[in-house]
Amino acid sequence: MRRRKDIILHLLSEIASYILEGDPQRMVVSLHQEESGLHLCVIDSNQHSDEEIAKMEKMLNSQKRPELAGYYGAMTGQDLLGGSRLDLLGWQIKHADVTRVDCGIQIDLWMGGDEFQSHKFTIPTKE
Amino acid sequence: MEKDDTIVKNLLFGLIFAFIAAGAVIDGPITAFTEFAKLQIVPARLINDFVQIGGIGAALINAALVGLIGLILILINKVKISGPTFAAVLTLMGFGLFGKTVLNILPIIAGIYLAARYVDKEFKQYIIIALFGTALGPVVSFAAVEFGLSGVTGTIAGMALGVLTGFILPALAVSMLHLHQGFNLYNMGLTCGFFGLFTSAFVLATGHKYDKVLNWYDGGSSFLIWLVPVMSLIFIIIGFVFDKKNAFKAFKNIQKIPGRLPSDFMVMESMEGALINSGLIGLFGSLYVFAVGADFNGPVIGGLLTIMGFAAFGTNLRNSWPVVLGVALSALLFKFDLASPGPILAAIFVTTLGPLAGEFGWKTGVIAGFIHMVMVSQTGGWHGGMNLYNNGFAGGLTAALIVAIIQWYKANKPLDASEF
Repeated sequence: MRRRKDIILHLLSEIASYILEGDPQRMVVSLHQEESGLHLCVIDSNQHSDEEIAKMEKMLNSQKRPELAGYYGAMTGQDLLGGSRLDLLGWQIKHADVTRVDCGIQIDLWMGGDEFQSHKFTIPTKE
Repeated sequence: MEKDDTIVKNLLFGLIFAFIAAGAVIDGPITAFTEFAKLQIVPARLINDFVQIGGIGAALINAALVGLIGLILILINKVKISGPTFAAVLTLMGFGLFGKTVLNILPIIAGIYLAARYVDKEFKQYIIIALFGTALGPVVSFAAVEFGLSGVTGTIAGMALGVLTGFILPALAVSMLHLHQGFNLYNMGLTCGFFGLFTSAFVLATGHKYDKVLNWYDGGSSFLIWLVPVMSLIFIIIGFVFDKKNAFKAFKNIQKIPGRLPSDFMVMESMEGALINSGLIGLFGSLYVFAVGADFNGPVIGGLLTIMGFAAFGTNLRNSWPVVLGVALSALLFKFDLASPGPILAAIFVTTLGPLAGEFGWKTGVIAGFIHMVMVSQTGGWHGGMNLYNNGFAGGLTAALIVAIIQWYKANKPLDASEF
C-alpha cells in the first residue's frame, strides 16, 4: 500500500508540475483505483496547440524502458529545478491520452502491473 | 528503431573485437593473453594504468572483455541498445584500461542481481546500476590481493565483499539521485564514492595503511595517440552514412538539450546524430589532451571513451566547454600542471557536470568546473582510490552544492506581482 501511495504521489507531482508551469486558472485531478491498477485524470483549463498536445501524448506514450524506469524513475515528481519531464512518466505507465475538452485539455493516465485488467478501466481501443 | 539497435550493437561488437585483435597484434597473442591473465590479480585502485602494468595488448584485451560482459548482459536481458547502454559499454571498456577487470566486476554484478531478486524486480530494472556499479571493482581486488590475506582466503573475501557491495548499491544509487536531481551524469560515481567512504573507514580501522598508487604510462605510443581520433572519425562517418539527410540536423538539435539525466539522445533525436556528437566529443577531447601535452594512456583513453559514450546520454559540445574551461581556470589559478594526472582526468571527466551548464548557462558551468577541480584533487584520498569514478564522486558533491543553492534561491526569492 505504501509503495502504491508513493507511486501515485510521484505521478501526481510530475503531471501537476507540468500543468502548473502553464499557470492554469483551474486544474482538476481525479483518481480511480482498482486492485490491479489505477486511472489518473487531470484536467487543465489552459488551451494548448495541436502541436503541444501531440508532443505531450508522444512523451507519455514513449516506449517502455524498464531499465530506465527502475532507476531514474525515482526522480519522478522531484522536479524542483528545470522543466517537468513527461517521458519519465511515459516509461512507467500503461497508456496515456491527451484530448481537447471544452474548458482546456484532459490527460488520462493508466498504470498497472502484470494483472492489469483494462476492462475495469476505460482505455480506448485502437480502431 | 530496431535497425538503430542493430547498428549500434554491431558497432560495439566491432569495437570489442578490434580491441582484441589490436591487442594480439601489438604485443603478440601469447604475451598479450598471458599479461591479461596477470592483470586479473593486480591491485586496481586509482591510479593503476593497465597499459603501464601489463602492456598495451593486455590492457586492450582486458578492456574488450570487460565491455563484452556488459554487452552480453544487455542482450541477454533484452534491454534496448541506445544512449544509456551505449554509454555503459564504452565506460566499461574505458575503465577496463585502468581498474576494472573481468574478475573484479563479476561479484558486484552478482550482488546487484541478488538485490533485484530480493525486492522482486527483474534484473533489467537494475542493469544500469549493475553496469556502472562496477566502479567499485577495486574493492574486490583490494580484499583479494592488497589486504594481506592469502590466496584462497583473499579470493573468497574479495568475492564476498563484492557481492555485499553490489547488494547495497541499488538502494544508495536511487537515493543519491535526489541529491543532485540528475545534474551529475555519473551518478554511480557519487554512489560508489559515498560507499567507498565507509569501506575505507573500515579498512583504516583495522590498522591497514593505504599505499598511494600511481602507475601512469608515458611512453607516447602512436597507437594510443591515434586510437580515439580514428574511432571518432568512424562514428562520425557511420552517422552520416546511415542518415545523410537528417543526421547533422539531429546533431544540432542535440546541442540544445541540457543533458540532465536521463537524456537518451539516440531516442530524443537520432542514433546517427548521437554518433556524430560522440565522434566530435572524442575529437575535441583528444585535441585538448594533445594541446596541453598530456599522455595518451589507459586512464586518459578510458576517460575519452567514457565521454564518447555519454555523448549519447547527456554530454554535448554546448554543455561541455564551460565546465572544462572552469577546470582549466581552476588548475591555472592553483598552479596545477594541466598535463598532470589529476587535472587532465578532471578536464575530461568534468563533463559529468555538463547538465548544469546546459540548464543554467555557461557561467554556472564555469563555476561548477572550477569547484570540481578543487574537490576532485581531494576526494580520491577519502575513499582510498576504491571508487574508479572519482570524478563522478566529486562531480556529484559539486552538483549537490550548486543545485541546493539554486533551489533555495528559486524557492525563496522575493515574489513579483504575479505571485502570492
